[in-house]
Amino acid sequence: MAAHMDRIVLPGDKISDLKESETSKKVVLGPGLRTETEDVYACKPGVLKFKEPNVYWIDTHQKRYVPVKGEHVIGIVTQKAGDIFRVDIGGSDQASLSYLSFEGSTKRNRPDVKVGDIVYSRLLVANKDMEPEVVCIDSHGRSSGMGVIRSGGFLFKTSLNLVRKMCNPQCVLMKSLGNKFPFEVMVGMNGRIWVKGRTNKETVALANAVCAAEHMTNPQIKAMCHRLADALAGFE
Amino acid sequence: MRDVPISNCEREFLLAIIAEKKRVDGRQPTDLRQVKIQFGSNFGSCEVSFGKTRVLATVSSEVAAPKQRRPNEGILFVNVELSPMGHPSFEQGRQTEESVELNRLMERCLKESRCVDLESLCIVVGEKVWTVRVDVTVVNQDGNMLDCASIAAIAALAHFKRPDVTVKGQEITIHTSDERDPIPLSIHHMPLCVTFAFFHQGKFLLIDPQEREERVTEGKMVIGMNKHREICMLQVTGQMLLHQDKVKQCTKMAFVKVVEMTELIQEALANDKTARSKGEKCGFAMSSEKEINTTVSPAKLVEDVSKTDLPMSSDSDSGSEQEMVEAGPQERPVGDSPKVVGKGVAIIGSAAVKKWEEEEERVKGDKKGKKKKEASVKEASVKGQQSRPQASAYF
Amino acid sequence: MEVMETSTNSPCLAALTCVLGDLSQADGSASFTHGNTSVLAATYGPCEVRMSKEILDQATVEVVCKPRVGLPNCADKYRERHIRDLFQATILVNLHPRSSVMIVLQERQDDGGLLATSINAACLALLDAGVSMKFLVAAVTALIDKDGNINLVPEEKPSDVEASASLTIVFNEKDLQVMGVTSSGKFSQEQYDRSVSLCRKATEHVFKFYRESMERKLSKSV
Repeated sequence: MAAHMDRIVLPGDKISDLKESETSKKVVLGPGLRTETEDVYACKPGVLKFKEPNVYWIDTHQKRYVPVKGEHVIGIVTQKAGDIFRVDIGGSDQASLSYLSFEGSTKRNRPDVKVGDIVYSRLLVANKDMEPEVVCIDSHGRSSGMGVIRSGGFLFKTSLNLVRKMCNPQCVLMKSLGNKFPFEVMVGMNGRIWVKGRTNKETVALANAVCAAEHMTNPQIKAMCHRLADALAGFE
Repeated sequence: MRDVPISNCEREFLLAIIAEKKRVDGRQPTDLRQVKIQFGSNFGSCEVSFGKTRVLATVSSEVAAPKQRRPNEGILFVNVELSPMGHPSFEQGRQTEESVELNRLMERCLKESRCVDLESLCIVVGEKVWTVRVDVTVVNQDGNMLDCASIAAIAALAHFKRPDVTVKGQEITIHTSDERDPIPLSIHHMPLCVTFAFFHQGKFLLIDPQEREERVTEGKMVIGMNKHREICMLQVTGQMLLHQDKVKQCTKMAFVKVVEMTELIQEALANDKTARSKGEKCGFAMSSEKEINTTVSPAKLVEDVSKTDLPMSSDSDSGSEQEMVEAGPQERPVGDSPKVVGKGVAIIGSAAVKKWEEEEERVKGDKKGKKKKEASVKEASVKGQQSRPQASAYF
Repeated sequence: MEVMETSTNSPCLAALTCVLGDLSQADGSASFTHGNTSVLAATYGPCEVRMSKEILDQATVEVVCKPRVGLPNCADKYRERHIRDLFQATILVNLHPRSSVMIVLQERQDDGGLLATSINAACLALLDAGVSMKFLVAAVTALIDKDGNINLVPEEKPSDVEASASLTIVFNEKDLQVMGVTSSGKFSQEQYDRSVSLCRKATEHVFKFYRESMERKLSKSV
């Protein structure tokens, strides 16, 4: 439905002529869309997106995170309370993290987590009525990259929109930065990004580049990455 | 609302780069962020921003009875409000340690330095005086609220005009602005605060700390000073010990910043005055119209990114200009003799003042193409990029 | 730099301007001016709520109105209440139970129509924050003078014209129905009806302005 694609909608806009799936005669409504009686309305401001065969959603620009089950987030440990840790993930409630949900942890072998540490974790429970819970293992009990991050680097916050953009495998920013110099990055869907370059200087440059890329077009991003790499190389 | 804590990762990284004399936003340790002063269309309202930190100051006046002990003096009242708008951790109507400290420092800076002539605010001795009230609201907190608030408050006081009054026997008439021109307050001097944040046992210092830098600081020193080099207030907080040379060194740096800021305020006031006399529209409505953009414009971001190159390029310089940041035990020929500038310390000492002026002109020249010159807004940004080649000329 | 300005083909409605996302700490912010009246709005949310204000099945809407000078007075408290009730009905509060949506409004300058400007600023700030809402709302103030003429709040503060009554009417965008009315002074039924139709026409321009501002913002960031 080309007419719908990438159109800017505001809350209260009625979305009509939705394309149904040919087999099930159904439409899938993603974030930012809701039904009232028979009609579909937007409830968030943003760009209306469509994906074959029948998925619609609104791409919103926002800063505040609302937990969604299964998403990877970067949390900050704020408290140790008995068997669980309290983790700030930027939502309305703090998430809980059990000491058993780390790879290889047992009742005897507790993980080494301190207040103020950052953890890359996944939301196991995210529900508007319940306290969110995060875990640092997948369903096979493996860490698969998650856990406490204590290898330097820098953490900063951006908008949720930029984070989603960065998670796209076709992301121009990540590709062009990656072409220029090696770095480690960890992107939480809650808007927190952790980066680590070879040196502190590079880390600062990376963090600034990511923040600056928010309102840039793809050619601008490429140009910026070029300049950045030149600046870094020129003074090394 | 609960505050998001700072993670160990951020803390360690910030401390590490401060030790390398770099900052996350690409500034030099002694650089200020971009300072912007705007006036409202009412007399006595002023908005000042330091980078993303934004403070609103409003001055108002009313007739009241004087204090018993000082029957021939008007009253100056200062109130700093940490509005919940400014930071999620600020709560409505709750006094915190932070807000009390800010209030006290502002009072000390403005009231105890006697910068406003209170005697001229007297109408009838012992009976009626003007009470001038300064309301300072922190609209966005991104560090260094005090410096920002002190500029906003003094600029608003200088901008403010009270109604004219005539006293005939027992009869007191307060004239509206249509009948008689309102009268500005008489300001003797402009005390401004400069905050220094210390790190690593006082070994490194930063001027104009950001919020996250403030969170990892060991202690802060606030110097309230006017452009006549008079210290109006000095406070050291935090868990650290400072060498006396350090304090002297800081006052010298503070002086340079204060001169720069005072000039900026005066220029903003002058711009506002000419705009008003020409009958142009002024005020927040106008200023926001002029520089309106619903989000950050790409042009500005390109600038920002080029700024990120700064910390790296500064690496290539030998440590000369960074010397000043260290708790230098070596003797520095600074002080009263205006010609002498310390080694590589382009912004210490009186001779440096000239340099800043030149630089400001250069900055202005550079910017002319990019930015509109606004009637009531003058922007001065001091970039290390421009200062460096000049600084080296002094070596 | 672009100017976000309307008043387009609407001679009676004073110029509107806004800057979105100006404040870094807030989740959404808007600095909105209508004529010479200027209000700064910031929103946080959905975020943590204080225990005493927690509602089990819906989000609490908290509104704080800050006056230009001094401490909040009765008029500010009244505005807070009015705006809170309005947005409680507008925001999809059921989506975020036991949390709070906070709206902070800072008056920067009042040259008439402060309540209407505050409502519009709050709505823009909520849009900037991406808070889920049922529909958009906008308010316009009409002034009825002694001769019974009805006007919108003018660009300049009326110094000599004393309005005998003023009406601030809030509309929603969905069907342009009245969401709330705040009035002061004396007016007749017929004058009320005329004010409603005048304000309804004017709010269409405000809604158009919302759309233009958001399109400008989103075209850059999404």
